[in-house]
Amino acid sequence: MKKELMKPRAGFEDFASRLKILLSRFPLHFFLVGIALLWMTPAFGLLTSSLRDAAAVANSGWWTAFQPPFEFTLENYQQVITQSRMGAGFINSLIIAIPGTVIPILVAAFAAFAFAWMRFPGRDILFILVVALLIVPVQMTLIPVLRLLTDLKIAGTFPAIWLAHTAYGLPFAIFLLRNFFVALPRELLESAYLDGASNMRVFFRLVLPLSVPALASLAIFQFLWVWNDLLVALVILQDPGKAPMTVTITNLVSSYGAQWQLLTSAAFISMILPLVIFFALQRYFVQGILTGAVKG
Amino acid sequence: MAGWLRSGPGGKSINRRGRLIPWLWLLPSFLFMAVFLIYPVIDTLLISFMNRDSSACAGAANYQYVFTNSAAQTALLNNALWLVFFTVLTVGLGLIFAVLTNRVRYEAVAKAAIFIPMAISFVAAAVIWRFMYTFRPEGFTQIGLVNAVATNLGLDPTAWLVQQPLPYIDLLLPAPLHTNNFALIAVGIWMWTGFAMVVLSAGLKGISTEVIEAARVDGASEWQIFRRIILPMLSPTIAVVATTLVIQALKNFDMVWVMTAGNFGTDVVATLMFKEMFNYHDFGRAAAMAVILMVALLPIIFITIRRFRSQGETR
Amino acid sequence: MAEVRFEHVTRRFGDVVAVNDLSLEVSDKEFLVLVGPSGCGKSTVLRLLSGLEELDEGYIFIGDRMVNDVPPRDRDVAMVFQSYALYPHMSVHDNMAFGLSLRKVPKAEIERRVKEAAHTLGIEDLLRRKPRQLSGGQRQRVALGRAIVRDPAVFLFDEPLSNLDAKLRVQTRAELSKLHRRLGTTFIYVTHDQVEAMTMADRIAVMNEGVLQQVGRPQELYDRPDSVFIAGFIGSPAMNFFEVMVRNDRDGMYLDADGFSAGVPATRTSELLPYSGKKIIMGMRPEHIHVPEYMPPGTTAAPVRARVDVTELMGHEYYLYLLNGGKQFLARVDARAVPRPGQDIEVVFNMANMYAFDPVTGKAIQRTT
Repeated sequence: MKKELMKPRAGFEDFASRLKILLSRFPLHFFLVGIALLWMTPAFGLLTSSLRDAAAVANSGWWTAFQPPFEFTLENYQQVITQSRMGAGFINSLIIAIPGTVIPILVAAFAAFAFAWMRFPGRDILFILVVALLIVPVQMTLIPVLRLLTDLKIAGTFPAIWLAHTAYGLPFAIFLLRNFFVALPRELLESAYLDGASNMRVFFRLVLPLSVPALASLAIFQFLWVWNDLLVALVILQDPGKAPMTVTITNLVSSYGAQWQLLTSAAFISMILPLVIFFALQRYFVQGILTGAVKG
Repeated sequence: MAGWLRSGPGGKSINRRGRLIPWLWLLPSFLFMAVFLIYPVIDTLLISFMNRDSSACAGAANYQYVFTNSAAQTALLNNALWLVFFTVLTVGLGLIFAVLTNRVRYEAVAKAAIFIPMAISFVAAAVIWRFMYTFRPEGFTQIGLVNAVATNLGLDPTAWLVQQPLPYIDLLLPAPLHTNNFALIAVGIWMWTGFAMVVLSAGLKGISTEVIEAARVDGASEWQIFRRIILPMLSPTIAVVATTLVIQALKNFDMVWVMTAGNFGTDVVATLMFKEMFNYHDFGRAAAMAVILMVALLPIIFITIRRFRSQGETR
Repeated sequence: MAEVRFEHVTRRFGDVVAVNDLSLEVSDKEFLVLVGPSGCGKSTVLRLLSGLEELDEGYIFIGDRMVNDVPPRDRDVAMVFQSYALYPHMSVHDNMAFGLSLRKVPKAEIERRVKEAAHTLGIEDLLRRKPRQLSGGQRQRVALGRAIVRDPAVFLFDEPLSNLDAKLRVQTRAELSKLHRRLGTTFIYVTHDQVEAMTMADRIAVMNEGVLQQVGRPQELYDRPDSVFIAGFIGSPAMNFFEVMVRNDRDGMYLDADGFSAGVPATRTSELLPYSGKKIIMGMRPEHIHVPEYMPPGTTAAPVRARVDVTELMGHEYYLYLLNGGKQFLARVDARAVPRPGQDIEVVFNMANMYAFDPVTGKAIQRTT
């Protein structure tokens, strides 16, 4: 049995063995990189087409745009924003989404605090009810809600859709926040109560500040959910002047079906804000999904 | 002093007035949920047994319609197709990607790329893919990527969003196995695989390395470790992902509506219901469809509640 | 054959050398304890042996097989992890049977072995339970059972007792020693607790910062530590160290510190002669410091005056924290002494048990007798 010392790997030998490892994993890298590119291709195609003029889009695939002459233009965006009401749509989406995010979170936070830290009869059963409501499809509620709003004469107004989105967003918000509140250190809250703090004070001065990550995740989640919603907007807001971008695009698809240069730019405009939020706050977004999904 | 504060299993409230306080905190939420969720569920159930404008009782006529009318049957079958293919393929792909990205250093970037579609609306996704699927007859330049690839491979271009046999197979398989359904499901998979991957990846990382090392020392090969240790330990997470996807498969509206408006045999229950509401103004039938959706989801509700309770026992 | 041999084994993590040129032989059936402070590399050695880590240089032999390139599953070792690493989704029975089922051992044989191991460990009643339903001590036995059932060439233990409460730890120590005698297989055991090392090991290997410091029987390490590090590591409470000057006078050799002067017994003077007029480090274990009234017969006493700082009654003895010349040291004295904090007392060092170390290298000054 040879007993020579195994020498330390000299520079080249080390490099060679690393290269060998890299190469043997080549199929893995090839596959993964390929998949990532594949996944981004559709969106990329959208972006490219939105920057080409009508003739170019109608007559050649977007992948051909990357050879000279490079004809890119912003006129589609111009047209879509001014003439096709996308500009108005963007504003409407904001008008719908911001209260539609802030209100549910506020309302849910109170309830979540009660579920987490207060004792009352039927607490567990009521919470199970909330969990069950998470799954109820929104379709199940649309007809009566529409009728109710019509009877109250607020159907088709912004406040109506704020109320609706608040209600629809509550189960998930309560669920997420309650799980988070429950995990807060009990001693912290108890010492505050011992020091004489009232509930409101503990809630606003202690619990909420400590919950910023959860609130951020929830806000992003809810905002995107409302921003991207189509069905609720279609049902409740029937006034085209108040249509958010999702509705506007749907109408564009039916009226401008083949004018891809316009449709693609419209779609991209609707995507900008979510994409920015996603990239800037990805961590919170993912955290929100994980807490909601894995815990439940 | 907050007498009703939970202080342990035996804590009792000493302040009678304090008993009301929790309810005050809960009131706004429950008011919203009662008005917009609970009452409507019950009301929809009632409406489903009434006629088109809910002026008179109609017994089970609406349900009869849903189960016998061919368009409605198509919708039901399509939902079943979504349920099976969408869920299974998304979970499968998500699992594969989760396992693979775990092993590379650019894991975060790869995952972000696959996850991006979750940020955009279904509507935008529908536009993207309508574009991808664009059809020009043979001889014309293709501008949709899918057909461009197909023609480059020497195949005929197909109208992917129109009801027809599976491509290049001259067989019209039983509904709902048409191209366009699968084309739509592909879009759903594109959107949701990122979600499955992210959640499954978190689950994978939650498996302690020591357990896997113990299996290695015990004699397991990598495949045996995957099949007998990782998969079983991952099954709760897989269940969570699967239930979320099943719910999506059943509730699906936006995507189908924008891509095909439910035409060409791609209708699902949600789109059909919408048509009943706004095109045909038959609320009884629409309600019946909603109820059927709800009933399909009942098992999920039970599973979720059961899972929640078994976890919550440690509270 | 299940002896284990490390030859010049080195493992690096980037710039850090976790295991530095380790050469060690473990005999068949031996109970070897690898001990050292956190981060000394002992766990890495275990992982190198099990195959969970790959070495950068050197060779590892199990029996007469070189196992450098052999994957963990073919090395015929079993490992008990610090956190037990039980398969949470399997019952106790399946946990123990897993390794055998992978090797396609016939079912009847698996049953037999599992039952036998369960019986040895007293866990037969728990076979159907899942790990989450077990207490810490029970889980540890299952981890043991999983290893026993495989009948490996070598057992590896990675700090198995550190998650148990004190009482259970003492109990389990004894049981592990019994188990070793009964199974007659090589045990390689890693811990940071020198008490476990002293009580269970046939031989102890002390490591520090990736380097093997000394290997020997517990008594050897206690009596003849190679260095200040080992002397301070082995033995609890730890040895006291004093910086002293060697003074060779007409009337004898003395070790002078700020607060005392201790006479060197004749048996030890020759090795200290080269250090006359120089400083050395003197070591004195707490158990070798006594109160004069109760010192054992035959003590070579060197009196030291000190002030009592803190007293801790241990039942049969006192731990005295004493101050002398600004330096604090610890003595274990007879409980009848009843010292009081703040009291000035005289203690005696038993110079027959004196340790001496070179102040520059930290190594023990070689004895001539």
